[in-house]
Amino acid sequence: MFSNYLKLAIKVLGRRTFFTVISLFGISFTLMILILLSAYMDAELGSHQPLSQKDDMIFLNRLMMTNEVIDTSYQIDTVMLDGVEVYDSTEVLDKNRNSVSISSLGYYFCDNYLRDVAGADIYSFYSPGFSYDIFVNGKKLSFDVVYSDADFWNIYDYQFSSGRPYRQQEVDNQSQVVVLTEKAAQDYFGGMDAAMGEFIEIDGKQFEVIGLVKRPSNSKGFLSGQAFMPLTTLKPVYLDDDENFQGPFEAVFLAGSSTGMKDIEQSILQKSKQIALPDPENYNNLYLITSDFFGRYANSIFPNSDNDPEKSKRTFILIGGGLLLLFILLPTLNLINLNVSRIMERSAEIGVRKAFGAHSGSILTQLLFENIVLTFLGGAIGFVLALIVLHLVNDSNILGDTILRVNYRVFGYSLLICLAFGIISGLLPAYRMSKIHIANAIKQTNV
Amino acid sequence: MILLKDVTKVYQTKTIETTALNNISLEVPTGEFLSIMGPSGCGKSTLLNIMGMIDEPTSGQVAIQGQAVSDYHTKAVARFRNEKLGFIFQSFHLINELPVIDNVELPLIYRRISGKKRREMAQTALEQVGLKNRMKHFPGQLSGGQKQRVAIARAIVGQPNIILADEPTGNLDSVMGNEIMEILLNLNKELGTTIVMVTHDETMARKTHRLVRLFDGSQVL
Repeated sequence: MFSNYLKLAIKVLGRRTFFTVISLFGISFTLMILILLSAYMDAELGSHQPLSQKDDMIFLNRLMMTNEVIDTSYQIDTVMLDGVEVYDSTEVLDKNRNSVSISSLGYYFCDNYLRDVAGADIYSFYSPGFSYDIFVNGKKLSFDVVYSDADFWNIYDYQFSSGRPYRQQEVDNQSQVVVLTEKAAQDYFGGMDAAMGEFIEIDGKQFEVIGLVKRPSNSKGFLSGQAFMPLTTLKPVYLDDDENFQGPFEAVFLAGSSTGMKDIEQSILQKSKQIALPDPENYNNLYLITSDFFGRYANSIFPNSDNDPEKSKRTFILIGGGLLLLFILLPTLNLINLNVSRIMERSAEIGVRKAFGAHSGSILTQLLFENIVLTFLGGAIGFVLALIVLHLVNDSNILGDTILRVNYRVFGYSLLICLAFGIISGLLPAYRMSKIHIANAIKQTNV
Repeated sequence: MILLKDVTKVYQTKTIETTALNNISLEVPTGEFLSIMGPSGCGKSTLLNIMGMIDEPTSGQVAIQGQAVSDYHTKAVARFRNEKLGFIFQSFHLINELPVIDNVELPLIYRRISGKKRREMAQTALEQVGLKNRMKHFPGQLSGGQKQRVAIARAIVGQPNIILADEPTGNLDSVMGNEIMEILLNLNKELGTTIVMVTHDETMARKTHRLVRLFDGSQVL
C-alpha cells in the first residue's frame, strides 16, 4: 500500500511543478533555519566538551547580601461599633530591603565556606572575568583569561590536542604555566606546534605553555577564554583579602547523582543561613544563588533583577518557544494553504478511491504520507543547505567560540522537525479531503 | 439483489429545494443487466449513486443483498463497496500519474492483498478486457475506448457481485461504445454479475435485460 502511495506521491509532485517548487522552497528554507537553530541549541545546551558532565553540575556564581528591616506602619479604617462609626487601626509589619549587594564570590568565601558542600564529588573555584591585551609583532590580541584550580579540568572536560592541564601542585606553587586554546596559540605563536614549551607574556608575567585545548563546541559566556592559568597566579588582592565575601570567583560542584545535586543545593542553602556576615550592621542576610546548567545559561542571556535562575529559565522558554512557534506557524500556515489548493485538485481521484473502498482513515493516511514525503524531500534539501550555511558560519567565527555540528542528535531533531512539519501542515487539508462527499467529488473531471 | 423502496432524494440549499428522486421503488434481481434512461437531470446518476452507497437517500429504504444499507457503519460501507461493488464512470476517472496496472490494482489496495497477488489479479482483469499488452502504459497514452476498458478492468478486478456503470459509452464513438457494451454483456452472461447501467443511448439500453425510464425524478416505465 505504502509503495503505491510513494509512487503516487512522487508522480503528484511532478504534476504541478510550480506548486511543488514553491512548496519545496518554503519547506527547505524553514527546515534549514530550524536545523541550524537545533544545531545551535545543541551546541549551546547539549552535553559537549567541556560540559559533558553538565547534567551533574551545580553552579554558584552569585551571592547577594541584603539588609532587611521590619517596617511598621498603621492602616486606619472605620468600623461600626454598636451603631456608631469609630476609627480602627491595624499594625502592618513589612519586610523591606534597604540595601542590596550582589556580586560574584571572593576567594576567601570560597576557600572558607564552600569546601565541604554535601553531595559534591568534586568542586572547582575559578575566575573567568579577566581580559588582557597582548601585543605580538605589533598586533594587538585580546585574551580572556580563566584563573582556576586544578579540579577545574576534572569538571570541565576540555579536549587537549597536546600537552596537559596544570596540576594541584603547580597551583599550590603558583607555577607560571598556561593552557591555551589552539586558536590562541595560532594567533600568538603563528602555529600550534611552535607554542608548546614556549612562553607567553600575560599581565606583565611570562607563562610557559604546557597544554593546548581544542576549541569548545559552545560559547558559554561564563567559560569562554583563550588562556587558562592557576588561580594562585592572580594578583594577591584577589586572593588575600581577609573576610572578603565578594570577588571575581565562581564555584561549580559536580554531583555523583541526581540526588547529589539536590543535596548540594540544600547544603548551600543551609550554609547561607548559617554563615556569619562580616559586616552585620550593613548586611544581615546572605543569599547564595545556585542553578543547574540550564538556569546558569538562561540567566547569562536573560538576567533578572531578582537574580533568580528559575525566572530566567521561564523567560528563556517563553521567549524562545514563542519565537519558535511564530517561526514555524507562518510557513506552516502558508504550506497548509498550498496543500489545500494542491489536494483540492485531486478531489475526483479521492472520490474514486473512496468509491472503490477507501475509508476516510485510508485517505487521511495517504495524503499525510504524501505530505510527509514532500516535507522530507524539502527536509533533505534544507539539510544540505543547512550544512553549507553551517560550514560558512563556522568558518566566519560569526558565533564566537560556538561550533555548529550536525551530529546524530541534530540529525534526529531534523527528522523529527520534518515529521512534525509534514504532519502539522498536511493534517488539516488531508482531514478535509478525507471527509469529502464521494458523489460530489467524482463530478470533478480531473483525476 | 438490489432493493429500493420509496426512495426520495432532495437536494436542499438555503433558498432552493430540488427533488432529484421521488418515491422510487425498484428491484434489481441478482444477475440482471438493467439500464436506466432519461433526460439530463432526471436523477439517473443520483439513483445509481444511491445504489452504490456513495450517496444517501433523504427518505426510503435501500437494501443490497438482503441487508439494509442504513445498518452499515461508515467503515463497513467502504468495505462493502470494495468487496461487492464495481464502478464505471463516463469520464473513466483513471489516475493519470499511475500506469494502467496500478490503476487496475486500486480496489485491491484497500483489501490488504499482497503486491504479488494484486499484480496477478490485475493482469487477469486486463486480460479479460483485452489490454494485457498495455499494462505499463499510462492513461494519457490510451484511446478513449482503451481507457474505459481499463476502468472496466478496475471495476471487475475485485470480482464484485454488482457493477454500476454511469454512461460507460457516453464519451466514446459507436464502434468503441459497442466494444465496451460487448464486454459488459459478457461479464453479465459469463460471470452472472448484476449490472446497472445509466445511459442516454437507446440502442445500448435495448441490449440489456430491462429498461427503466426516469423523468423529473420519478419512474415512468
